[in-house]
Amino acid sequence: MVFRRPSLALVAGALFLSPLAADAADYHHVHITSSDATEAVRWYSRHLDCQPLSDRDDSVDCQGVQVTFDSQPSLGSSQRTGIDRLSFSYADLTAKMGEIESVGVGGAGVRLQRFPDGSTLQDQPGLYKHGFIFDPWGTRIELVEDSDRIGFHSIHLSATDPAATLAWYEEHFGGEAAQLRGQIDGLRFGDIWLFALRHEDGVPAATTGRAIDHIAFELEDVDRDSVQLAQAGVSFTQQPAVPEGGRTGARRGFVAAPDNVSVAVVEAGFAGVARSMDDVVDITTQQRDYTVPRTPWGEPDFQGVWTGDAAHGIPMERPRDLTDTEVLTPEQAAARRERGTLGSIWGYESEWRDTTLGYVKSAPSQQVAMVIDPPDGRIPDFTPEAQARLANRVDTSGVRRLAAGPEDLSPWVRCITRTLIPTPQVYNNGMQIVQGPGYVAVQREMIHETRVIPTEPKPHVGESITSWLGDARGHWDGDTLVVEIKNLNGRVPFRGTTDALTLTERYTRTGPDTLQYQFTIDDPEAFTRPWTGMFTYVRDETQYELVEYACHEGNYGMPNILTGARAREQEEGR
Amino acid sequence: MTRRLCALVGAAALILTLAPSGALAQGDIPRAFDGNPDLNGVWQVIGTAHWDLQDHPAGPGLPDMGAIGAIPPGQGVVVGNTIPYRPEALEQKQGNFENRFTDDPEIKCFMPGVPRATYLPYPFRIIQGDKKIMFIYGFSDANRTVHMDKENPEPAPIDSYMGRSHGSWDGESLVVDVAGFNGESWFDRAGNFASNTLHVVERYTPINANALMYEATIEDPAVFTEPWTIRMPLYRRLEANAQVLEFKCVEYSEDLLYGHLRREPTRPAPEDR
Repeated sequence: MVFRRPSLALVAGALFLSPLAADAADYHHVHITSSDATEAVRWYSRHLDCQPLSDRDDSVDCQGVQVTFDSQPSLGSSQRTGIDRLSFSYADLTAKMGEIESVGVGGAGVRLQRFPDGSTLQDQPGLYKHGFIFDPWGTRIELVEDSDRIGFHSIHLSATDPAATLAWYEEHFGGEAAQLRGQIDGLRFGDIWLFALRHEDGVPAATTGRAIDHIAFELEDVDRDSVQLAQAGVSFTQQPAVPEGGRTGARRGFVAAPDNVSVAVVEAGFAGVARSMDDVVDITTQQRDYTVPRTPWGEPDFQGVWTGDAAHGIPMERPRDLTDTEVLTPEQAAARRERGTLGSIWGYESEWRDTTLGYVKSAPSQQVAMVIDPPDGRIPDFTPEAQARLANRVDTSGVRRLAAGPEDLSPWVRCITRTLIPTPQVYNNGMQIVQGPGYVAVQREMIHETRVIPTEPKPHVGESITSWLGDARGHWDGDTLVVEIKNLNGRVPFRGTTDALTLTERYTRTGPDTLQYQFTIDDPEAFTRPWTGMFTYVRDETQYELVEYACHEGNYGMPNILTGARAREQEEGR
Repeated sequence: MTRRLCALVGAAALILTLAPSGALAQGDIPRAFDGNPDLNGVWQVIGTAHWDLQDHPAGPGLPDMGAIGAIPPGQGVVVGNTIPYRPEALEQKQGNFENRFTDDPEIKCFMPGVPRATYLPYPFRIIQGDKKIMFIYGFSDANRTVHMDKENPEPAPIDSYMGRSHGSWDGESLVVDVAGFNGESWFDRAGNFASNTLHVVERYTPINANALMYEATIEDPAVFTEPWTIRMPLYRRLEANAQVLEFKCVEYSEDLLYGHLRREPTRPAPEDR
């Protein structure tokens, strides 16, 4: 069979490999899942010298290979799947790696994968120098120095039986069996190599949904070739058809390749699938009728693992320029999230953030602001006493002031507690609810702290028993769990609140996978009137489980901050 | 009804075995919606297991603490009183005890692990629902979720202090299989310990409405030559307002951990001690 132009599709985006040489079997593209195709096009252009395609907003040409990105949630890195990585070759790799390293983690989303000795580059005798990075969506990328081919260099499969895997591709998609520098068996498609490395740890994970979603080959005659493939025992996971949203009338199908790899077969002229952000549903703002299920003992059932990830990025207060906006558009919501993650000052590269676009089930929430009362979405004024108190407040960030000891740092840094309200952060937004008759336990992933809420009437503990999480008492208001929290110690920094705060939480299930969380701040020592905010949790037990966040036990930050402070003082001769 | 009869027989048998001196069942064992024993409530161990799982005489503590810090004598909870350490592990246990004022995870406010969380001198609450049973302990925010609805044993997603717990009912006993530990935990203030190959099987069996028998079989081929078992009762806290209060101990451990890094150091650096 004759195939044209292999294409690799990456999940964060799709990588289309299209060597321009038109003879023999070719890749069509590599398909990458990037969660944000526009951002991915920018990233690959900036860091890997690919060229945006003039007629497409979701693809780049990497030295003759088309790489296509789609804006879908990614299920994680390509590493340990059947397509481990892509390689790019540079004439001066040391200079290239230096350039990438100098970009740092400051929002560019390049992650270096260092070798065990800490270096970023290593020589492979007889082969070439190489090093590894990840794109922001988890695509593993190898950078090599192979003067025989500059630019997009190779695709590395990870196979339980590499020889059999290569034979499979050769039989069904052609390519020319060859050895790279007498060392590595592979197939050549034009100038591009397809390698199969031995998968060392069990069976490779499925590529579908992961950062490199699939690679694509172009079939000369889809009808004829599909029949031949099927006759040769190749199993189609999707028969060739014009995909919904296809930019042309060209058909695309998928076959199951060895090692859980998904391979697309496309017809000449295939130009990807146009997706709009509207296809990604924000389930947090979709209201519908919903009957809350019951526990076996008859109480509303809120049990499960929920995450606030979809709500990350919603500001507490309504921005002044969005006074009349009811909800953001999906594009605005995505842009707001990307500003908060890709461009964040946080020292976490996007792959490590739970809330990187595409990592979570729900699209970013289109909610404009958390505050719903007062209706203008703005936090009420401080009382005059509170204003005076706050003017003298001490900075505990540890950044602008050298900490004399742990007490000078915030309870966040000290791993005592995190935020008073579980406002979503870049990581650890999970919440597990477990119920028994008359009790609801709400466990927050942050710190693993758990609030036990009795739902039968019980008086609060004595007022001298103050604590970080406070004393919670709940009741059911219809199908809403209402929790009144008193006896807070006033030491968790939150918008100027004090130990006079009564925090009221309202949990309401609004759909099978959505849970609305409302909080009311009533603190007469701080605000001139109570105020209420709201955001929505999403249930995602396919992807999300709370694992133990041993924050204090692993608090390397604390000794590092204090050691740094002492060193700085010594430098400054204090 | 049959189930309840069985329960009573089971409880009576236990009492005969464990408390032959004439204790009597105090009414029926509470039942959950599904007929299994209802373990909901606040429970606590009384005894000295948190000092030392084995028989031990009284002993001194930190001199500055006077009698408050001294070790009270206690009868052991280890069945047979012997912990079958491998020789090199026994040496480590003794070393742990020597260094307990800096190395004991409890003194550092670390999560205590299993089974230690059970018999620390703090109450804990059991919340027993249909899919999960949650234990909320009164020390260092520790808690754990017992999965009653997952295939057993599902591998732990990551090693942890509290491990991963899978539960099932065996007649009147809640049986909890716990593994996936990170090997950082001790069993008591005497330095008894295990590694990350620790595997604990716990049994919670009602004795009567207000007491459970707690049994934990401890297996760790890297540290012990054979499995061994601890056994002690759990008592229900009967106060009408019984509640596990928050005890975030992090700030009380910070001077011990970071005092040498203060601007005005309160203790020598670890390497100078």
